Amino acid sequence: MPTGSEKQSGPDLGAILEGLIEAGVEFILVGGLAAVVQGAPVTTMDVDIVHKQSSENIGKLLAFLKSIDAFHRRPDDKVIGPDVMAVIEKGKAYENLIEHTVEIEFRGHTVRVLNLKTLVELKRASKDPRDRQRLPVLEEKLRQIEEE
Amino acid sequence: MVKEAKAKKELVDKGLVAMFLRMSPEERLRANDNAIRTILELRNAYRQRKTKWPGSRRNT
Repeated sequence: MPTGSEKQSGPDLGAILEGLIEAGVEFILVGGLAAVVQGAPVTTMDVDIVHKQSSENIGKLLAFLKSIDAFHRRPDDKVIGPDVMAVIEKGKAYENLIEHTVEIEFRGHTVRVLNLKTLVELKRASKDPRDRQRLPVLEEKLRQIEEE
Repeated sequence: MVKEAKAKKELVDKGLVAMFLRMSPEERLRANDNAIRTILELRNAYRQRKTKWPGSRRNT
């Protein structure tokens, strides 16, 4: 489980993921890490998730975030930790994304990862310049996967 | 030219750069090692799943 002191020495992506799972938070891994898991050659140092929006799940998520001393990021002083999103591009929420996930086993737990095809579709709708920059790489990786 | 510089700036995650600049060299190495280890674990898990269920619709 990550602690506040780890924030100084950088993120431990595995500990954050494990912490979320052990806290019983229902979530889908999205963003750069989801793409990297599926073989995309991009770099990332954060964990982006879309969480289920039930009050019980939000309670668990908030308790976990508090336990790792997470706080809201500012664009000029970003703290790397889980990027928690209720919805992502095209207004898609947990319930809309769940059928487009891949389930993988991570340290004895199941993690749902948004599949690359859906990631690419959503990134095509993104206005973030960094997403636009990454898009050709993701598209090429998707093409390779579909050819396999 | 100003526009071009602004566009390039938008492509940089300044927060990430700032975070790494605040770290000592050892901390930077540790952060990178942690990330690599987790990514390798996750990639392995993804590959194993593909081997288990190669025809799964959810793989794409």
